[in-house]
Amino acid sequence: MSAPELVEDFFRHEYGRLVATLVRRVGVQHLAAVEDAVQGALLTALQSWPLRGRPKQPSAWLYTVASNALVGQLRQGRRRQELLDQRLPVASAVQAPPDITVLGSEMQDDLLRLLFVCCHESLPEQTQVVLALKALCGFSVKEIAQRLLVRQASVYKRLERARARLRDHRELDDLGPAQYEQRMPAVHRIIYAVFTEGYLSNHASQAIRSELCREALRLGRLLVQHPQGQIPETFALLALMHLHAARLGAREDGAGGLVLLQDQDRSRWDAHEIAEGLQWLQRSAEGDRFCRYHAEAGIAAEHCLAPSFEQTGWQRIVQCYELLERISPSALHTLNRAVAVAEWKGPQAGLQVLAGLEPPTWLQGSYMWSAVLADLHRRCGHEAKAARYRELALDAAPSPAVRALLRRRFAQTLCD
Amino acid sequence: MPNYLCLQRSVPNEGGAEASASDMQAMYARFNEWREKFKDNLTDLGGRLGEGKLVTDPGSGDGPFVEVKELVGGYMIVSAGSLDEAAQIASGCPGLVRPGSGVEVVEIRTP
Repeated sequence: MSAPELVEDFFRHEYGRLVATLVRRVGVQHLAAVEDAVQGALLTALQSWPLRGRPKQPSAWLYTVASNALVGQLRQGRRRQELLDQRLPVASAVQAPPDITVLGSEMQDDLLRLLFVCCHESLPEQTQVVLALKALCGFSVKEIAQRLLVRQASVYKRLERARARLRDHRELDDLGPAQYEQRMPAVHRIIYAVFTEGYLSNHASQAIRSELCREALRLGRLLVQHPQGQIPETFALLALMHLHAARLGAREDGAGGLVLLQDQDRSRWDAHEIAEGLQWLQRSAEGDRFCRYHAEAGIAAEHCLAPSFEQTGWQRIVQCYELLERISPSALHTLNRAVAVAEWKGPQAGLQVLAGLEPPTWLQGSYMWSAVLADLHRRCGHEAKAARYRELALDAAPSPAVRALLRRRFAQTLCD
Repeated sequence: MPNYLCLQRSVPNEGGAEASASDMQAMYARFNEWREKFKDNLTDLGGRLGEGKLVTDPGSGDGPFVEVKELVGGYMIVSAGSLDEAAQIASGCPGLVRPGSGVEVVEIRTP
């Protein structure tokens, strides 16, 4: 008799749920012990389930095993502490195990709560992202390093520092409505960061990238289930993520190469994702707030709704980029606006947007900057300048896939 | 077909990275596949072994055998046509042969 398959990401998501629930019970200062207990419970399951069969309620089973291990470990720690210094024993941190039948919705709340703990303003944003990927999404240090393109040692160091901070500042764990409201922008930012990491990375495989996008969507949906998360910014963020996710599959050819927007097979865009994104976009418009996620979702929606590249609402896209630049000034946004302006009013107008702009070094040295200039100059008939920028763009390409894309693009436009 | 006793032994060269939750789920799936594939050969999936004690003739002491309990992690019994086949079945079991773990396969002789 073979057990039915576990749902996708079961272990990883159980990890997050268990860590969140146990952290709420014993306090975030014990995060390291909680994570050890959860990791141990999953390993025990791996050893026990194949032999004795999977329990009817795997989540509850894991919870009991992890909880028992944690209680044992904390008791041991406390005894050691009492022997070390003869202080009064601290009150028992762990109460009786909760009624397992109510675990479902409580666990959702616990996950969200831990997300807000991770977003404490004393932690640098990159650390918040790493902590969320570890504690909530159940990725290992190695997996996080692969996904964020950083060294394992640096992920490890960030986690260590974050845990130390959470251990020493118990007040970080006190979460009332005021803290939820205060940390909301940070929560939006890290969900956005996880999504962008998945959507835009030039390095990782498509499987890894779409996994990150799915995780960001999962956290976004979690947030929107909570009354305090139901605000226009969250709706706009969800709209943005769904509308981008709709095009995820069509962005890549079968061989791992990237496909330009104008060459994408629009019938491969996910209609279901587009519909969901548009619903959230509509909800995000209720109220009088307009944030960068609104602008970005608006741009994504224009692309998703356009029947073809040529028939795209470039004028509205330009307006969205102008709003975006106002809310969150960045030369990258200006560069994007130049591309949209060029489609709307012609390449000369596009170049005019960039005239006088002093891009930061990272952007000037990037393939995006050179590739856009190469394209605009070619379309204006400035052949020498175009050729120079083409070379710069190819030199700056961060990966073979991007370089291949640029070559294809340049070859194609030269034949036009 | 004769039965073979498979003993999981820890071998030096620890230090394999800690399995991630995704690794564990993949391992679980591979184990179920493996069990399905060899269901006719798996006489007894056995289990993990805990602490042990060697009882011998008084006076001969614990001997050098005391280490055994630390080295053997688990056992199972497979039936196979030959020692090589049994070893092949065992080595396909996910988690058994990996950095830090090996498997010893011994024929169970029946008179």
